[in-house]
Amino acid sequence: MSTALRLTQQEVDPIGGVAAAPLVLIGSVLSVATSIALTAWHWGEVASPLAAVLGILLVAAAGAVATTSALPARAPFTVDRLWFTVALAVGGAIAEYVSTVGADRYLYDDYGPLVVGMMILSLAPFSTWIALLAAGTVAAAVLAILAVGSAGASATQASAAALVAVNSVAVLALSAAGAAYSATIVRESLAWQRHANSIALERDGGLRAGIVRSVQQGRVSVLSREVLPFLADITNSQRISVADADRARELADLLRRALKAGIESTWLDDLAASIEAARQVPITVEDPGATAGRLRSDQRPPLTALLSWLSSGGRSESIRISVAANGGGAIVSVLAIVDADGASSPTRREVERFLAVARAVGVRGELEITRENVRVEFRYDA
Amino acid sequence: MTLGLPEHLAKASLSRALASAGHAAGAVCLASAMVISVASIVLEPTGETGPDRQAAIAALVLLAVQAALFAVVAFHPSVTLTVVYLLGGTAVVYGLTVLVMAPGNGFETTNNAVLAMPRTALLLVGGAGIGSRIAITWAALGWGLGEAAAFLGAETAGGTWAPNAAAAAALGIVIVTRVFDAMTRSDARREAALHRASQQTRELVIRHDYELRAIARLHDTALSHLVAIAASGSGPVDERLRAAIRHDLTLIVGRDWATEHTEDAAAVGAPTGTGGSVAAVFRAADGGEASDTSGGAPGRSGRGGRTSTVAAPGRTEPLAEALDIARDAGLSVNVSGTPEVLAGVGPRRRAAIEAAVAQCLMNVARHAGVGDVEVALGRADGEITVVVVDDGRGFDPDRVPEDRIGLRTSIRGRIEQEGGRARIWSRPGVGTTVMLAVPEGGE
Repeated sequence: MSTALRLTQQEVDPIGGVAAAPLVLIGSVLSVATSIALTAWHWGEVASPLAAVLGILLVAAAGAVATTSALPARAPFTVDRLWFTVALAVGGAIAEYVSTVGADRYLYDDYGPLVVGMMILSLAPFSTWIALLAAGTVAAAVLAILAVGSAGASATQASAAALVAVNSVAVLALSAAGAAYSATIVRESLAWQRHANSIALERDGGLRAGIVRSVQQGRVSVLSREVLPFLADITNSQRISVADADRARELADLLRRALKAGIESTWLDDLAASIEAARQVPITVEDPGATAGRLRSDQRPPLTALLSWLSSGGRSESIRISVAANGGGAIVSVLAIVDADGASSPTRREVERFLAVARAVGVRGELEITRENVRVEFRYDA
Repeated sequence: MTLGLPEHLAKASLSRALASAGHAAGAVCLASAMVISVASIVLEPTGETGPDRQAAIAALVLLAVQAALFAVVAFHPSVTLTVVYLLGGTAVVYGLTVLVMAPGNGFETTNNAVLAMPRTALLLVGGAGIGSRIAITWAALGWGLGEAAAFLGAETAGGTWAPNAAAAAALGIVIVTRVFDAMTRSDARREAALHRASQQTRELVIRHDYELRAIARLHDTALSHLVAIAASGSGPVDERLRAAIRHDLTLIVGRDWATEHTEDAAAVGAPTGTGGSVAAVFRAADGGEASDTSGGAPGRSGRGGRTSTVAAPGRTEPLAEALDIARDAGLSVNVSGTPEVLAGVGPRRRAAIEAAVAQCLMNVARHAGVGDVEVALGRADGEITVVVVDDGRGFDPDRVPEDRIGLRTSIRGRIEQEGGRARIWSRPGVGTTVMLAVPEGGE
């Protein structure tokens, strides 16, 4: 659990994080609606309309902060955003308490605990389970103080301990729900990743045999089919003719160029070649310094996935990739020319998920979308 | 590595995570209700009305029963246990409603916080099965049964029934999250195809690795001979050149020249057209003298029965092949240190070291203009180190033409692929020192 303690769903399952972003908006809207509805419901108990309105505004502010903080473009979500959101929501709960102080008949119809809990729950995909639990506990402690403070005016006659339990159960229950969700999804995702990686290692043996065969179809191998029989002929000859010497020189040049090109090519060239062959979308790679080789193995799949996606389904007419060194890191720019009138033109939201995945492995990404093209820039640090 | 959850696992994993969330919230609700019961037993009510102690004890027992059933269904979510929990929980809610709504407790309707807790725990059953529909069905059943129990309990106690708002809100949250999950779960994952991209990237890395090996091997075996033939012009074939070409070609005959390990060769099976065609030429040239190298017996050449691969299996003497190559080239090699340290690395890593040393010795023979070379082997700080030193012509490492790729591929590339490093010190007229260091162990 020690690893899971420090991880969020957004980090281990970035696509899940992107998919969950609208849920924060839904949670925020429901929280604001709840605060308005319950304020209207117990309006007769409101002694300070100003505090009541302030309470609703603070809940709305908490919702706005949570929603914008969880946007894929602002990933990764940080724990201080959780605390800021919770602080605003708790501020709303305090304002509500102030608005009805001395006249609150039931704690049950107060919206404070519910909206704080809902905000914490809706941020569960973006926070560690321990942070969610801590935020819930602190918020519940604040609400408990309010419950004790309002006990004297409460119409329900019960012990102070029971009042505290009633007032904090919503926030504690929803925080516990968020923490359990976060812990479970992180644990399951990590378990899957470990399983998938071990299978990949096992597959490598079989994969290598297939790759060896396909390497023999590569540019160097094809050339070797001319070179090796030529050398074999020479060993059978008594003399080297002028034509043999010329042919040897020609083959040496060809071989040297092919070898040099082979050395300087990277996985990105191979990827572009394989996608181009499979999808018939022209892809050019400008990487004179073979800088793409600097990308770590975990940083390559997001770029691979983006290129595969852009080149499929008629989304792009052509793709140009340029790679430049940036200190010890690299900047990879992907420019896809899209069909301006095509129905399958990529949307910002669709491309954003690849950036979200890239961010999860420490790659910053920027996106520009126009009618004619999609430009994505990945920045990889050393 | 791979990231995230694949499409086919996302449904089950997210469903389990949401069920866990419900179980945690339900547990908190039941725990809070039990705290209130205990408080009612232990502490005096602050006002004139409140539950009597016997009723509070009875409520605590009922809540304990519900909590036990809840724990069982949370850890063993079968259909039977889910049904048992829903029926048992309904009975508990009925009993609690009778106790809570008794006159004198001060509750106007069943829409109150105390009854909300067991009611919420009832609908957060999670239940058997995976997926949003079944989860919503179990939650709705829990809510409906709880509401019915509360109605009957209120009738029994003479209280007023009203729908419980908190329980309804909990049901609403369950429905919203489950519906949202069902709607957004698969499309994004399917289209991103992240797992497939991870596999593809991995394949590309392996492919590139093999291509580099193929390049190194081709460089070792062919390029220098082509240059020598081109430089020799027309005339009789130099016997030493002929022997060297034959020797190098046997390195790649009868096996896949892109591989350097026996296990890879075994996995690939029969020789390819390239190897086969060269083998055929050789057989013709040697008039049947050569062994059948194309028949899946890698490691034997047609000349003198010498092992043909660097660090071939069965040839355990350190640097044996490299020393053979040096001897053929007229080079006297003085090996010092502890050659046995090579036993401390895996077969692939050893093959890489031996091939790199062989290339170093070839370079000395071709370019250094000396007849002696020193090779020292040792172990230090978890690394195997091999140093090749000559007193020959030397060169300026910064001025090696870009198209001279022997250093890059056959020496440095091989060693770096094994996680090691190659360092070269050389100055014109002073000689050359190449140090190869690889970690101990490896494949």
